[in-house]
Amino acid sequence: MRTISWRRVAWTVAAFAAVGVSAGTTGSEALGTEWSALQAQQPPPPGRPSAQERADVLRLPPEDEPAGRHAFYWTRAVYSGSRGGWWGRGRPAWATDFPKGDRQFLVVLQRLVQLDAYDFENAVRLDDPELRRFPLVYAVEVGHMNLTDEEIRGLRGFLEAGGMLLVDDFWGGREWAQFEYNMARVLPNRPIVEIPPDHPLFSAHYQIDEIKQVPARGRGIRGRPTWERPDAQTPHVRGIFDEEGRLMVVINFNTDLGDAWEWAEDPYYPLEYSTFAYELGANMIVYGMSH
Amino acid sequence: MDALFEFLFKYRPLVFEQGEFALGAPGSLRVGLLAAGIVGAIAVATYTLARADSSAGERTAMAGLRVALLAVLLFCLLRPTLVLSTVVPQQNFLGILVDDSRSMQLADQDGVTRGEFVREAFDPETSQLLRELGERFTLRFFRFASDASRLEGPEELTFEGTHTDLGSALDVAREELSGVPLSGLVLLSDGADNTDRPVTESLVPLQASGVPVFTVGLGEERVEPDIELGRVELPRAVLEGSSLMVDVVVTQTGFGRATVPVIIEDDRQILAEEEVTLGPDGEPVVTRMAFQLDVTGPRRVRFRIPPQEGERVQENNARDVWIEVQGNREKILYLEGEPRFEVKFTRRAVADDENLQVVTLLRTAENKFYRMSVDDPEELAGGFPRTRAELFQYRALILGSVEASFFTQDQLQMIADFVSERGGGLLMLGGRSSFAEGGWDGTAVAEVLPVVLQDAPVTRPGQEGAAFLTELDVSPTPAGQAHAALQLGEDYEDPVARWEWLPPLTGVNRITEVKPGATALLTGALPDGGEPQVVLAHQRYGRGKALAFTAQDSWTWQMHADVPVDDNSHETLWRQILRWLVDGVPEAVSVTVDREQVESGQAVGLVATVGDSTYLEVNDARVEARITRPTGLVDTLPLEWTVERDGEYRADVVPLEEGDYEVEVVALRGDEELGRDVTYLHTAPSDDEYFGAGRRTALLQRIADETEGRYYSPSTLSSLPDDISVTGAGVTLTEERDLWDMPALFLLMITLMGAEWGFRRLRGMA
Repeated sequence: MRTISWRRVAWTVAAFAAVGVSAGTTGSEALGTEWSALQAQQPPPPGRPSAQERADVLRLPPEDEPAGRHAFYWTRAVYSGSRGGWWGRGRPAWATDFPKGDRQFLVVLQRLVQLDAYDFENAVRLDDPELRRFPLVYAVEVGHMNLTDEEIRGLRGFLEAGGMLLVDDFWGGREWAQFEYNMARVLPNRPIVEIPPDHPLFSAHYQIDEIKQVPARGRGIRGRPTWERPDAQTPHVRGIFDEEGRLMVVINFNTDLGDAWEWAEDPYYPLEYSTFAYELGANMIVYGMSH
Repeated sequence: MDALFEFLFKYRPLVFEQGEFALGAPGSLRVGLLAAGIVGAIAVATYTLARADSSAGERTAMAGLRVALLAVLLFCLLRPTLVLSTVVPQQNFLGILVDDSRSMQLADQDGVTRGEFVREAFDPETSQLLRELGERFTLRFFRFASDASRLEGPEELTFEGTHTDLGSALDVAREELSGVPLSGLVLLSDGADNTDRPVTESLVPLQASGVPVFTVGLGEERVEPDIELGRVELPRAVLEGSSLMVDVVVTQTGFGRATVPVIIEDDRQILAEEEVTLGPDGEPVVTRMAFQLDVTGPRRVRFRIPPQEGERVQENNARDVWIEVQGNREKILYLEGEPRFEVKFTRRAVADDENLQVVTLLRTAENKFYRMSVDDPEELAGGFPRTRAELFQYRALILGSVEASFFTQDQLQMIADFVSERGGGLLMLGGRSSFAEGGWDGTAVAEVLPVVLQDAPVTRPGQEGAAFLTELDVSPTPAGQAHAALQLGEDYEDPVARWEWLPPLTGVNRITEVKPGATALLTGALPDGGEPQVVLAHQRYGRGKALAFTAQDSWTWQMHADVPVDDNSHETLWRQILRWLVDGVPEAVSVTVDREQVESGQAVGLVATVGDSTYLEVNDARVEARITRPTGLVDTLPLEWTVERDGEYRADVVPLEEGDYEVEVVALRGDEELGRDVTYLHTAPSDDEYFGAGRRTALLQRIADETEGRYYSPSTLSSLPDDISVTGAGVTLTEERDLWDMPALFLLMITLMGAEWGFRRLRGMA
């Protein structure tokens, strides 16, 4: 049996990065233009997206079509909270790196994993019943979340029914406390624990032996310390398990996988980090779709 | 009626049926007719020539009466006779077969039991019937129940037999009396045969040797008032915790449309209880009941209806069925071609089921697999099994969204053999690489599938994702409503209700047709009203079974916002489907008994099928049964290859102790153990005789008709000796019986003479 080594991942990411910076290539131009246009657009306001938004911004299939044309929709959680995050540029915290990070992650993910995935982003509010149609949901900058009671109920029902929440990109004790407070409202009495290194999450697709701290783009390029706060020097992959021992929430704390996915094409962003981010991302997808 | 006939015509109708008519007077018929003509002409002339005060019509009438009288007289003078072939007294044997089973203890309306009637009818001291038979025949008595044997006399009857086997009784009597002149067999029984062997098989040799059977039907046809529980069918073995659904048939006579409880229980507890409204007299009512068995080992399940007031037979209110509850962990191989939520939620649905181990091989990239629930690091390390031994260790195979080209031709054939030869279960799930969309049409596996693969739609240029996508509003077919695997809730009375509120699924494989012999269990309505999709279908294929589940996202029934978080429909469905998939899957070595429950002393056939690890039949194995008696003693019994069928070995065992026997069969080839299997055997007195205990007149009548005997009721039994004399086989002689002195002829002559005299008086001529 042939296995895929980290080198293959590295080459894939490196090749993708090369495409991103090479001038004159039609694909990258088109992609770049599209991204620029999307960056200029405001993300959809919280709530059910309109038909226009579905078609133009979210690139979702028509509303009357069941979400079954693809096996996987990379779904971002839309939640209430303070505006925050440098890279959110004043937009809501949930929309940090949106949608470029999502699309770029999907492009690479589909090269690494044999997966029938929808090529575009998919943002769903936590209090939207539609959330249950996407059993794997990704949330970022959760240190700024301040969930409403409806969102609490929605997320709790999602997780108890069997959904999985992937959390990323929040740093330090203050943001941790905010996230912990909200999760305690969602899942009272369910402790947050370190996911042990021998957990299948770290071997489902790639063998991950070391948890690396993935820096944001600027710190990665400029070679500054990888942490963003003095109290955020150690990266963690933590989890919340249900009473049957099943993993419901994967918490990437003191790290920013999303930035590594989003800026993997930047030749100055260290390959080491983007490779790790894609490996862990692929593992989270494979594990989340099989456990 | 027969008595009146016999008074008028001297003999009973049966004698006329058996005899041939002849005229016994000396001389030719022509002379007689000439004499009759002359006498008749004289009589006519006398009346015609007389010129008294009479009209021509009156003379004609009188002449006619006189000629008729002369004709009757002439008929008598011609000496009519019946030529009969009658048995020679004391030169022939007569077999008398008496039912010695427990149903003969049942008392009929007059309070006399069937057995008492037989004892009285054949009492050596007082019975005229026995005396008359004894004068004409040498009598040989036989008793029969589950077997048959000679008796010295009817006083040896006990009426304790637990089964009635009419066929073997006739066989034994025929064989025992084959060397002697036999006039016939007399069979006294209620006809309540309760063996599986048809009686017809035993009638053929009797017909061939011309031995008539005279049947005597005892008892009432309808025992009432009575309630009877019909035969209950359960699988021989189930996995611990499996849901069982059983049809219970209740028949009543004389109770009207009352409501009675039907209780299912084992030695520990009541498993299910349901009120049943009885049907009209004699019409069975079927009620469906469901229950679970949670403790492993051989278990006796009792179905019963409490005895009702005034009920004549209470023993037929209960049925015992033995079933083996297995605690095995059954391995199912689930191959999925790509990460899909169906993997997560199907595995999750059965994760708590300790009897199912879903070993999962998930392809995450080309030639890269993620293995889950494997027993050791080596299991499936090379991907999908490449040898029969490796694949056949699993009891079922689930193929998810994986294209046919993933497999080699050998592997495709191996999957087909897995079902047909190994007897495993195959389930194909819907997905973008399943069925026709996955290129499965035309493969060996497509032959196995229960559905017809339709042409896959072509993806349009630029089209995103699956070419065909539809919502499926799933509901069970009538067959699905009755299937144990599709019962989603406690409310078994309304199997459809639970399905109605489950949200729609989606499908990317268009399948609307099942193969001949396959059964659709779930169908899905399309939003546009198109032809319904087959969502779940199954069929037997060779020794195994194949299922097709054509929706791609059953996980919706777990995740959808309309489904309460604590709803178990999804888990229940998959647990039951996967248990069904592995249910009855044979081992390489397996043993069965032809009856789980027998009486002590009754022979039971042990049948073992022996194969190697690839399930190829082995004919040169050493097969041995180790039988552990209820007292703990162990007997060893070799099984011999039957020659008729590859891999089949047989032996008969006769359990003599009452209780539970464990039968373990071990098959060896050289020093290599091919496998072993265990089954159970239970010996206890049987109540079978009380089921269907009414007299089966039709069966007894048929036995008599087909052997040219006669059927008798107790009231007509007295004519039996005479009847056998003229209808029986054996040593016979030709006998002529006069008919001229039949009272009917004299009555006719007197009537004719009286008529003429009366006519004359009426007309003033006398």
